[in-house]
Amino acid sequence: MIWLQNVLVSPGEGGVYGERTLDGYRIWDPYRSKLAALYVLGGGVDLTPELRVLYLGAANGTTVSHVADYVETVYAVEFAPRPMQDLLEVARRRKNIVPIMADANRPDEYAPFMEAVDLVYQDVAQPNQVEIADRNLVFLKPGGHLILMLKTRSVDVRRDPAEVLAEARAGLERHLDVVEVRWLEPYHHDHAAIVCSLRE
Amino acid sequence: MLQRYWFGDVDEQGCRVAGTDPAALAERAATLRTGMESYVPIDWEAARACGVVRTREEYIDLLRAVCTTLARKKIVVSYQARDVELLQMVRMLDELDNVINLLQERAAEWYQVTNPSFSRKYRSLPAKKMLSLIRRGAQGGLGDVAGEIERLTGTRSRLMREVSARADEVLPNTSALIGGLVAARLLSRAGGLSALAQMPGSTIQVLGSERALFSHLRAGTPPPKHGIIFQHRRVHNAPREVRGRVARVLAAKLAIAARLDYYRGEVAPEFLNDAQARIDAAGVAA
Repeated sequence: MIWLQNVLVSPGEGGVYGERTLDGYRIWDPYRSKLAALYVLGGGVDLTPELRVLYLGAANGTTVSHVADYVETVYAVEFAPRPMQDLLEVARRRKNIVPIMADANRPDEYAPFMEAVDLVYQDVAQPNQVEIADRNLVFLKPGGHLILMLKTRSVDVRRDPAEVLAEARAGLERHLDVVEVRWLEPYHHDHAAIVCSLRE
Repeated sequence: MLQRYWFGDVDEQGCRVAGTDPAALAERAATLRTGMESYVPIDWEAARACGVVRTREEYIDLLRAVCTTLARKKIVVSYQARDVELLQMVRMLDELDNVINLLQERAAEWYQVTNPSFSRKYRSLPAKKMLSLIRRGAQGGLGDVAGEIERLTGTRSRLMREVSARADEVLPNTSALIGGLVAARLLSRAGGLSALAQMPGSTIQVLGSERALFSHLRAGTPPPKHGIIFQHRRVHNAPREVRGRVARVLAAKLAIAARLDYYRGEVAPEFLNDAQARIDAAGVAA
């Protein structure tokens, strides 16, 4: 990861979503991006130039663009048509983003396009987030990592976020080793990052 | 084991390449059905071995072209659905209401400063009359603004008729139960006809009262009885003690109506007769 004066940045062509730049690098704002928040808080998996990434819940492609600045290839999956239009525009300018319009719940829809990846990053507002992660492990290389951004409010608004997190963690531990669990306070409320690795 | 990938079919013997034209590849890829039990992710070098591409760069380029084509097609299809434009129409209508109200209030305040004797208090002065009064009475900017508000009001009425007509066409059964305008607002809140058709009646009942609902779930305040459907006369005209019941029965029938609209797309008279009778019966005080 690249830090300039303690600010997280990424190398690449700017002007994707009006982000500010610093010495020609794009500032990656932890208040906007949950992944940036995870790095700023000292966690996460280092993004390196040879990495292949499956990004579930790509939305408008803002965080995707920063990930793409660091890694070799990003497979960006998004379901909704409106954000997909923006994502296509981002992918047009970044040659290492493969935009896929499909439902992360249904990996069979995009399996014919997928190679094995080193990192699965998941940020979807669905109640069955752990189940979705499980279904996408088929694309993950042994020893590869999963970063799950758990939106506890999407799972169940009535329950205590800590309880939701504990349950999600237990669910993930069936197939994965949980490496790190971190709340994204103060950048994002009731969001937790769970970093796992796939057993060899 | 045969693997069907976007660039062709691959198995132990070798591969059958599907071509190198992105449009043709996209068309083929759209028809692929993958069973996940025996699925193996692509090794891109298989594509090179098959002669589809020569380098990794070419591989990603071609894949991107195929995926982009597919995504564009899917976007077009999802926007073709008849409910998508209605969604924008009704949101524009509600936005117009907001804007017109704001402008009207401000115009009245302004007019009051230049004409101290003017007040809307203690007499029922309809907005329409007030606007033409201001337009004629005020000079310069304020007069212009009043004229513009009047034109916006006209636009709003025409749009409202359009929304109603479109809702009757897209949501025939739902509109028959609560009127086109309220039906369109339900659609807008749900986010689309397929979403609305998948909602249980209890959700439809409180669509639009999310604040009250979540404060109920979080803090245990009394639950909301109705959301958008309160705008329907049989709900807001019902006596207080049966209003919750009317809302519940109406919402349950709306859930069925939305499914009829989504899966059948035409009026179902036998359902409507029965549903109307049930809703009317729920409104009779015990």
